[in-house]
Amino acid sequence: MPSRSAIRNQLSWLRRLYGLLAWLLLVVGLAVVVIASRNGVQLLRLFSGRDLSALLKLLGVLALLLIPISGIYSVASQYAFWTGWLGGLPQLPQRPAEGSEGRDQTTTDLGESPHSAIVYLDGIHQSERDHPPRVSAFLQELETRLPPDIRLLKGLEAYTVTPSRLLDDVGSGWFWRRVFALQEHHPNALVSFACAFLVQANNVIKVGISSDRRYGPILNYELALKVCRRLSETGLWPDPTGQSGPRELVLLGYSGGGEMAMGMADYLRRLCRCPVRIMTFCGVFSGNQLLEQVAGITQVVGSKDPVAAFGRIAYPGRLALLPLSNWNRALRRGQIERVSISGMNHNGARGPFSERYRPVVAAAVVNALTAAAAQHA
Amino acid sequence: MIEGALDTLANWLMRADAGIGLVLLVGLSMSASHLFALLANRLTPRQIAMQLLLDGLILSVALLLAALVNMLMLGLLADAVVRPSELLDRMGAALIPGLFYVLVAAPYISDLIAVTLWFLIHLNVITLLHARFGLPYEQALLLATPGFVLALLLVIGLFHQSWQAGYRRLASELEPLEPH
Repeated sequence: MPSRSAIRNQLSWLRRLYGLLAWLLLVVGLAVVVIASRNGVQLLRLFSGRDLSALLKLLGVLALLLIPISGIYSVASQYAFWTGWLGGLPQLPQRPAEGSEGRDQTTTDLGESPHSAIVYLDGIHQSERDHPPRVSAFLQELETRLPPDIRLLKGLEAYTVTPSRLLDDVGSGWFWRRVFALQEHHPNALVSFACAFLVQANNVIKVGISSDRRYGPILNYELALKVCRRLSETGLWPDPTGQSGPRELVLLGYSGGGEMAMGMADYLRRLCRCPVRIMTFCGVFSGNQLLEQVAGITQVVGSKDPVAAFGRIAYPGRLALLPLSNWNRALRRGQIERVSISGMNHNGARGPFSERYRPVVAAAVVNALTAAAAQHA
Repeated sequence: MIEGALDTLANWLMRADAGIGLVLLVGLSMSASHLFALLANRLTPRQIAMQLLLDGLILSVALLLAALVNMLMLGLLADAVVRPSELLDRMGAALIPGLFYVLVAAPYISDLIAVTLWFLIHLNVITLLHARFGLPYEQALLLATPGFVLALLLVIGLFHQSWQAGYRRLASELEPLEPH
C-alpha cells in the first residue's frame, strides 16, 4: 500500500487535474462563443438578459455542456483508483483454502454454509449504505421468505467504488455536504426534490459509466472487488465446494442496480470462482456486458413501468434490431427469463416497494431462486 | 429552409478567419478526449502530459493530411487551383466544432457527441467547398469524403490502440484469478 504522504501527493495532483479539466472546458467554451458571436457587444447583450430567447438558447447550450462535463468529472474519480491513487485498488481477500484466516467471526455465527448469497444492489436513489425505509421493508419481507440456506447481503453502495457515502467522496464530497446541509436546513418540497434529483443524476452517470464500452470494464472490475471484500467481511465468501461458503452468488438489482449487476457479474464469477446469477426488478440496463458465462438472468418487470420500458430505448442493444448484441445472444441461448407483474409501476404507490407489490415482487424473486436451485440440483 | 441555413453557414465560413492555429487546438481537444485511456494504462502524470501533447500533434497532422487530400481532390476532379495556405486557413474555420471534441470523454453519450461533431465538421467542409469554388453540393460531398474518411480512420486508430492497451492491462490483472 502507498504511504500516506504519497496518497496526499496524488490527491493534490488529482485536484489539480480536476481544476485543469474545468478550466480547459471553460476556456474552449468561451473561445467558441466569442468567435461565434463575432463581436463582444453581442455577447454582452446576451448576458444582460434583454434578449430572452437568446439567453434561453445560451442556457440550453450551457446545459448541453454541463451534462458531459459532469460525466467526465465522475469518470475521473473512478480512474484515480485504477491508477493506484487514493490508496489503490482493494486487495482480493484470500480464499479460505489458501489462508488460515479466510473466514471472520460473522461466518462462525451464521452456522451452516449457505447454498447461495444474494447481493442486493439498490436503485439510483441510493446515497449511503442505509436503505430508505420502504426499501428496508421490502428487504425484510424478502428475507423472511427466503429459504434458510440463502443469505441476503444488503447495505452495499452500488454506485461508489469505495465503501463510502456520497458525503465522503474524495472529489465531490464538498458538494454533497453542501447539498445535504441545504436539505437539512430547508426541508421543503422544492429543496428535497432538487437534492433527490442531484443524487439520482449522479448515480445515473455511474450507470452510464458502467454501460460505456470504454469505461465499463474498469468500473465494473472495481465494483466487483468491492463486493468481494464485503462478502469476505460478512463471512459469505463463496466456496464452490460448499464447505465454507455459498456455492452461488445472486446479484439482485433494482432499477439502475440492474445495470451494475450485469456489469460486475462476469468479474465476480472470475474473482469468486463460483457461478453468478443475475436478478433484476424494474431493471434499467444495457445488457451489453459479458453475459455468456452468467448462470442465468431473471427479469422481474411491471406491466406499467415506463422507466424500465424507456431503458430498452436508451440501450438499443436490447432491441430486436441488433440481433448480434450480447443481450440478444443471451436471449437466444435461453439464459433470460422474464416475469411480468401486472399493474406494477417503477416506484411510488404502485412500485415494487409499495405495500401492495412488495410481497408480489419478493415472492417472484424467491420463486425464481428456488426454481433455479431445483434445476441446478 | 435547409438551403437558407446552408447559405448562412457558407457566408459565415467565408468570413471567418480562424486560422491554421485552430487545427492544433482541435488536435489537443481530441487528444484530451481520451485522457482516460492514458489513465487506464496507468501512466504517470508526466507521461500523461507528454502523451497528450504528442497525440495532439499527431491528430493535428491527421487533420492537415485530410485538408491536403481535399486539395488534391480539388485539383484532380474540379480543376480548381487553390493556394495551400488559403485552403488551410479556411479549413481552420470548418474545424471549429472539433474544439468541443474533449466532451467525447463523457460516458454513455460519447458516441452521440462524436458523431454530431464529425457530421458538423464534414458539413462545414462541404459547404466551404461549395461556397468558395461554386461546386454543386453533390460534387463537394464527393471531393470532401476521402479526406474526411482518412482523418476519421487515423483518429479512430489512435484511440483504439490506446484503449486496447488499457484492456490488456486489465486482462493481465484478471488472468491469475482465472480457475485453472
